[in-house]
Amino acid sequence: MKPSGTLVEILYVKAVTYTKKTEHTGAGMDQNREGKNKKDYSRLFRRFIFLTMVCSLFPLLLAGWAINIHYSEFARERILKTLQTRVEYHKKIIELFLKENKTRLDFIARTNSIEFLIKEGNLTHILNNINRDDWVLTDIGIIDENGDHAAYVGPYKLIDKNYSNAFWFKEVMEKEIYTSDMFMGFRKEPHFIMAVTKKENGRRWILRATVNTDSFRSLVENVRIGRTGDVYILNSKGIYQTSPGFSGEILTQASGFKGEIHDDLKFRFLEIVDRDVKIKKIVCETWLKDPRWLLVVRVGEKEFFEDIRHANRATLVSLHLSALIILIVTVFVTNHMVQVIKKRDSELEEMNTQLMQAGKLASIGELSAGVAHEINNPLAIIMTEHQLLLDAEKRTPITDPEFGEQFAGSLSQIGTQVRRCAHITKNLMKFARRTKSVIETININVFVREVIDLMEREAKSDGITFKSVLDDTIPPILTDPSQLQQVLLNIINNAIAAHENKGYGMITIATRLSNDKTGIVIIVEDTGNGIKDEDIEKVFDPFFTTKSPGQGTGLGLSICYSIVKQLGGNIHVESDVGKGTLFTLTFPLKPPENLLKHG
Amino acid sequence: MIGSKILLVDDEEIFCDNMAKLLQNRQYKVTAVYNGESAIRALEKENFDVVVLDLKMPGMNGITTLKEIKKLGLFTETLLLTGHGSVDAAIEAIRLGAYDFLTKPCEVDELVEKIEGAWRKKDEAWKKDLENKLKKVVESPSDVFKLFD
Repeated sequence: MKPSGTLVEILYVKAVTYTKKTEHTGAGMDQNREGKNKKDYSRLFRRFIFLTMVCSLFPLLLAGWAINIHYSEFARERILKTLQTRVEYHKKIIELFLKENKTRLDFIARTNSIEFLIKEGNLTHILNNINRDDWVLTDIGIIDENGDHAAYVGPYKLIDKNYSNAFWFKEVMEKEIYTSDMFMGFRKEPHFIMAVTKKENGRRWILRATVNTDSFRSLVENVRIGRTGDVYILNSKGIYQTSPGFSGEILTQASGFKGEIHDDLKFRFLEIVDRDVKIKKIVCETWLKDPRWLLVVRVGEKEFFEDIRHANRATLVSLHLSALIILIVTVFVTNHMVQVIKKRDSELEEMNTQLMQAGKLASIGELSAGVAHEINNPLAIIMTEHQLLLDAEKRTPITDPEFGEQFAGSLSQIGTQVRRCAHITKNLMKFARRTKSVIETININVFVREVIDLMEREAKSDGITFKSVLDDTIPPILTDPSQLQQVLLNIINNAIAAHENKGYGMITIATRLSNDKTGIVIIVEDTGNGIKDEDIEKVFDPFFTTKSPGQGTGLGLSICYSIVKQLGGNIHVESDVGKGTLFTLTFPLKPPENLLKHG
Repeated sequence: MIGSKILLVDDEEIFCDNMAKLLQNRQYKVTAVYNGESAIRALEKENFDVVVLDLKMPGMNGITTLKEIKKLGLFTETLLLTGHGSVDAAIEAIRLGAYDFLTKPCEVDELVEKIEGAWRKKDEAWKKDLENKLKKVVESPSDVFKLFD
């Protein structure tokens, strides 16, 4: 079945085309072709890999990377959005804190008389109430319009201080309600105040409170993100209102401050060098409404996007790992496929060779049968003529002894040569014979022993012994015993002949089950003279013989080949000159269907 | 058996004549014919002990001729001569009642040996038939004239 799927289809078509291409090259053993085939297979291998890369790996990586980039951007945007929300929320908290305290002061000023406020203990009570849950205010005081403290509650000795020259005094007198920037003041510590004015009995009073710097700083820094995150506040002139975590100090000028006031939240990316290491920071800035302070949140980009980077890394590692696995699997599968194609090609090549051999044998067989049949008749006549002459010689003896001798010699030679011709034609007919096979179930081991018994005496006279290594577990097979006997006899005859001039030797016959368990194997190995490399391919060709003229027709192994093929088997020969020859015969447990049906 | 009557049937005339001469040299009474039809005619005219019949002949081939001979119901044994290519046909001929077959080319001595075997078989069959007839005569003397059928 033809596989479906674009890639598979392409590969299949390629493979088929390729196989066809190699099929067309036909059989052949020359090195140039082998070299070309090797090149073809490696080209095929490369093409498969290339196609896989183009059709699967490249799109996979492209899609993987595109999705990864897209999702990274998306995730970055979402994270920045989250940061923005957090900063805005935090800004509102700070604003709320400031507003709450300012409102609280205003409320105190409005609901209490100056007389009540300056009365000992009341202001303390109010401060304690305010600081009941959190230490929000450091101190609180009532200042008259001359800048002198009328009352003060707090940890500093400020009761005798005059604030008429303080910047905030002027601002509060002017604005009635005022929140200062951070300043040092009389206490020589960074702090900021909130103050409201109150008119009573024709006089103006100021209710002033100092916001707890630590508490405020803690509130501001509550939004700090990660280990490298930093939150601080700058006033409209760029002076640090809280201590930045990593660079600068409170009440110092921040570098790079532009002072541009805007209502929305702005992001910018900053690259700073810290101990020769470049660090990227995300800076998120937003202006508080009152006072106009700039809330700055700085986050280390690396840390901030660490999760995304982790996810990215994991995704990319998985992606590339998948690609690598696909590549490895492709290499293995392609290699396997190429090997299969290679094997198929070599089987095809072998089959072609066998078909050619079989075709050659068949055509030679038919030709031989025709020739032999035609020759037989004149040969029969010659033979009868020869007999007639012999009869005549007996009846009428020749008086001339010299002629008589010559005549007798010639007659004898004619007889010998006619018999030789008859032997040749007999073999030719046997070679081409298409007799009906008689299929029987036979035990190969018993059969082999019988053949050995038959040949043992002849072999013994040449100093050759038989050795049998028979596997008793092999099953009986269905075959034509007479044809099989002829095959074995021919091979053994050749094996005996191969020991010519040696005077000793051994013929080993072994049987076993074939590796695929669908047939049996008979091995005939001799210790004879062996076959030369240049002759080994021709041993199954009709009329090929290495025996002396008149000693062999060169048809024995051709007949064997023909019979073995007819019985559905296979014959293979290996030889080592001077050491011996090994014939491997394989027969199926059942012969081909046509042989079973038609014999 | 010296003096046995042999009918040689072969379309290869020279071979047939030569073989006839060779057999005559060995004291057989040989008649040579060159096709199946002539063989049947010859058998209808006179008795032969052994028929040596070529398998491949134009017209009536050896098998057909053999079948016709068998139809005649004679005490004659048939030997087939064949090329190797037609061994299957020769085996078929034996199944049809031929005594044996020989492959061409063959030595005259081989043929003689087979002829002798065929003659013996024919002789035994003839004797057996005669014995049966005699037995019947003993059992029923009125059947004495059937001996000469």
